[in-house]
Amino acid sequence: MARKMLVDGELNQTNKEGAEYDFDLFVIGAGSGGVRAARFSANYGAKVGICELPFHPISSEVIGGVGGTCVIRGCVPKKILVYGATFGGEIEDARNYGWEVNEKLDFNWKKLLQKKTDEINRLNGIYKRLLSNASVKLLEGEGKIIGPNKVEVTQPDGTKLSYSAKHILIATGSRAHRPPIPGQELAITSDEALSLDDLPKHAVVFGGGYIAVEFASIWRGLGATVDLFYRKELPLRGFDDEMRAVVARNLEGRGIKLHPQTNLTELVKTDNGIKVITDHGGELIADVVLFATGRLPNTKRLNLEAVGVEIDKTGAVKVDEYSRTNIPSIWAVGDVTNRMNLTPVALMEGTCFAKTVFGGESSKPDYRNIPCAVFSIPPLSIVGLSEEEAIEQVNGDVLVFTSTFNPMKNTVSGRQEKTIMKLVVDAETDKVLGASMCGPDAPEIMQGIAVALKCGATKAQFDSTVGIHPSAAEEFVTMRSVSRRVTARGKAKTNL
Amino acid sequence: MATTSFTAPKLSSPTFQTLCRNLPLSLPIPKTLSSFSFHLSPFLSRFHLHHHHPTPRFHPRRLFAVRAESENGAEPLRHYDFDLFTIGAGSGGVRASRFAANFGASVAVCELPFSTISSETTGGVGGTCVLRGCVPKKLMVYASKYSHEFDESNGFGWKYDTEPKHDWSTLMANKNAELQRLTGIYKNILNKAGVTLIEGRGKVVDPHTVDVDGKLYTARHILISVGGRPFIPDIPGSEYAIDSDAALDLPSKPEKVAIVGGGYIALEFAGIFNGLTSEVHVFIRQKKVLRGFDEEIRDFVGEQMALRGIQFHTEESPQAIVKSADGSLSLKTNKGTIEGFSHIMFATGRRPNTKNLGLESVGVKINKNGAIEVDEYSRTTVPSIWAVGDVTDRINLTPVALMEGAALAKTLFQNEPTKPDYRAVPSAVFSQPPIGQVGLTEEQARKEYGDIDVYTANFRPLKATLSGLPDRVFMKLIVCAKTNKVIGLHMCGEDSAEIAQGFAVAVKAGLTKADFDATVGIHPTSAEEFVTMRTPTRKIRQSSESQGNMGHEAKTAAGV
Repeated sequence: MARKMLVDGELNQTNKEGAEYDFDLFVIGAGSGGVRAARFSANYGAKVGICELPFHPISSEVIGGVGGTCVIRGCVPKKILVYGATFGGEIEDARNYGWEVNEKLDFNWKKLLQKKTDEINRLNGIYKRLLSNASVKLLEGEGKIIGPNKVEVTQPDGTKLSYSAKHILIATGSRAHRPPIPGQELAITSDEALSLDDLPKHAVVFGGGYIAVEFASIWRGLGATVDLFYRKELPLRGFDDEMRAVVARNLEGRGIKLHPQTNLTELVKTDNGIKVITDHGGELIADVVLFATGRLPNTKRLNLEAVGVEIDKTGAVKVDEYSRTNIPSIWAVGDVTNRMNLTPVALMEGTCFAKTVFGGESSKPDYRNIPCAVFSIPPLSIVGLSEEEAIEQVNGDVLVFTSTFNPMKNTVSGRQEKTIMKLVVDAETDKVLGASMCGPDAPEIMQGIAVALKCGATKAQFDSTVGIHPSAAEEFVTMRSVSRRVTARGKAKTNL
Repeated sequence: MATTSFTAPKLSSPTFQTLCRNLPLSLPIPKTLSSFSFHLSPFLSRFHLHHHHPTPRFHPRRLFAVRAESENGAEPLRHYDFDLFTIGAGSGGVRASRFAANFGASVAVCELPFSTISSETTGGVGGTCVLRGCVPKKLMVYASKYSHEFDESNGFGWKYDTEPKHDWSTLMANKNAELQRLTGIYKNILNKAGVTLIEGRGKVVDPHTVDVDGKLYTARHILISVGGRPFIPDIPGSEYAIDSDAALDLPSKPEKVAIVGGGYIALEFAGIFNGLTSEVHVFIRQKKVLRGFDEEIRDFVGEQMALRGIQFHTEESPQAIVKSADGSLSLKTNKGTIEGFSHIMFATGRRPNTKNLGLESVGVKINKNGAIEVDEYSRTTVPSIWAVGDVTDRINLTPVALMEGAALAKTLFQNEPTKPDYRAVPSAVFSQPPIGQVGLTEEQARKEYGDIDVYTANFRPLKATLSGLPDRVFMKLIVCAKTNKVIGLHMCGEDSAEIAQGFAVAVKAGLTKADFDATVGIHPTSAEEFVTMRTPTRKIRQSSESQGNMGHEAKTAAGV
């Protein structure tokens, strides 16, 4: 309430003292969150400026590009490579359907890379146009905060410009982080992995998160030998354990060598490639080593200390529920706040910010039931709680419905890979608390399920929905028998 | 039953059976009992004389069934061979039989001998869906989609020294091996559920008796679930035409095929043959394909299919087929004659299999299309005879037959009168690109609700920007202006069928556009477009025809 009054008060001031500032809003960083906030704020009538580093596929302190991680170094190029890699398996599958395809297939990495670059250039242009269509002033250069209402932009030629703004929004995102082991400079991060000159013959991927499994899948699908090293027993910490096990099995089934509970300790340059040494004493030679061991917020060169914007120990900007920092005129959205690092979440945060500050309507982003996808091959997608989370959070019993099946396509192709689906239901309320799926099309299938979950759909409502036949998705509405009933705190009551 | 093997383990799951068997023990006497109390005492006295099932725990479940009989008037007490005799072991029949057996009934089902081509004397356990419909069709769709994928893959850097060639016989052999496996699984499922399977042609002799090839079986209830068969109109030369049964099992690739019809079967086969590199001509009576579907979807899918090389001949009706000396076929239409077809396929509708079933003689009413008339509980005009699935020509979809079969088993043997719910039944067309939909078309919505908001998106998916192919995706949401409820959802484009299912749950649950908007997208997917449609394309108000275009949201913005 207090927040709303404050904001309203400020809005009134804008009218009176509008001339006092160069901009109503200045955004540092033109990625998903920044562009969204800038455009929507401008649509509400605000005068908006935004700065972004010069375009380059590989990011650094001084290069970036309009579009940000998602468009240039994340979702989009990654998905393009996943598409490219998925054809590898598809072509194998085609044979039992009667297609005679040459044993030796020619895959041209350079062509794919070129087309990927063309596409992100195109998108970069579209984003710039979106901003200019919304009358947002775009400045190229590195933004720094030099006062609660003052921003300095260092242009590529070194000249510095400074602007005053009623509100400043930090949306600088994050960058891949390398663990400090000897020889770490020999490794690459996901930025470079999306722009390699040549397809690796033998790649080592270090990390168990979604980026690690996605790149492992991409390279394997394109024919490389891939070794995946991760610290835990299973990849994808934080996801449903049963799903993690399925992903691991599928990665292995597609020919990726898994090294669970294994750390890399050193990289050494040799004539044959990079020698990778593990904490188990293992050694192997790879031509590419990818570190996918996490990302860190881009806050170092923003000069936040000067104005006292608080950051946490990972370097993330601390914000309240409305994305406001401890300095009332400074706000932050997206990965730089390290809340939930997903493009659509940054979009939601940017939208809420614009509504709150310029739309006259205090809006908190809602982090419940946010669906997400891992574009491994085959992919994983989830929404809501994992089985483990449900058991932890629900007071009564949890009903778990699972279905593991051989997708129809595989009955002829002969591919040995099961699809698995799971619904986690609150036994008392019948509400579906979580849904997950690992198998072809999982991310596409999950979106509609996410709408249902977001609105508290019950298992009975799922059951009353007629299936679409023959699809994989229809399994979600035909799970009749409970696989297990678990009492809160993880004790299996019956294991039918 | 998208998938094949899941069906088997799931359907026969001991878990489910255990649940069903055990559940009633702990159930209190259902509330519905009171409403049946009028019929209760005659029933109970009768029941105790009926020793078919020794366990008394099934008593309450018989109530509805008995009520049915008592409505039919006083009938002498008799012993039946079975509680339920099902004629036809397709989707609906198998579902009803299994569930009935799980609820404790003694059940028999009869089915014709297996053949990929159906007739008066051939069929097979699994029915249309498994043997001559959904499953083989989808396998053929998978096979045919590869040619498009090969094209796409070129744009992603894949190259083939020699153009991939398709070997028809490999596909047919592998497809038929799968069908054999599935029919076996279905038999197994029935067997495990304790259903007696009888091979042969069932015929109704009287309200409680079925004749299977001369042998008589009595049953308290008879279920007709004999499905439908393709129908070919009687024109000169129609004997040279094939139907979808034959089209799914051709001995060799059709070089040049004419498909007559504009419905979903016609479009699916057009995609299949086109993908398997046949030359495909589609002849439709109307201006557009897919009558009954949303108009924009009809336009869109026609355009997309034409871009993939299918030739549409609109407003062109077949009049005769002529076989030339060289064996090729010519199709004579109202507009002229096209020659040189290796095959002419008719996809001109399906008819219920109600002939020679003895229905008329026992008083089961059949409508003019040959479909059995049933009430909301799937009961025919003869109280002891019921019908589900395509033979009733309600909504002819496998999952609907399953729903009807499950509802019937509950009604008859679980003392829980259950009507199938036909609202918001989603469906798909496995054309290439496919269609997924649920709820009303724009035209229906306009009629029913008057004031509606329509949101559309027509975009080039990420994959197509790389492949360079002209593939696009079309999506549409229809929202009731008064309640904000999403009353229709339509999509044509890759993965439509898979995408529509989850949204069907949302539409069925009566969710609003605001609920859609509150859902965060999954990026980057096509499906996320359904939760990021911010501006209506048009607002339709009864007062003024249309508010026209509300402005353009750049779709290329990838949601930003």
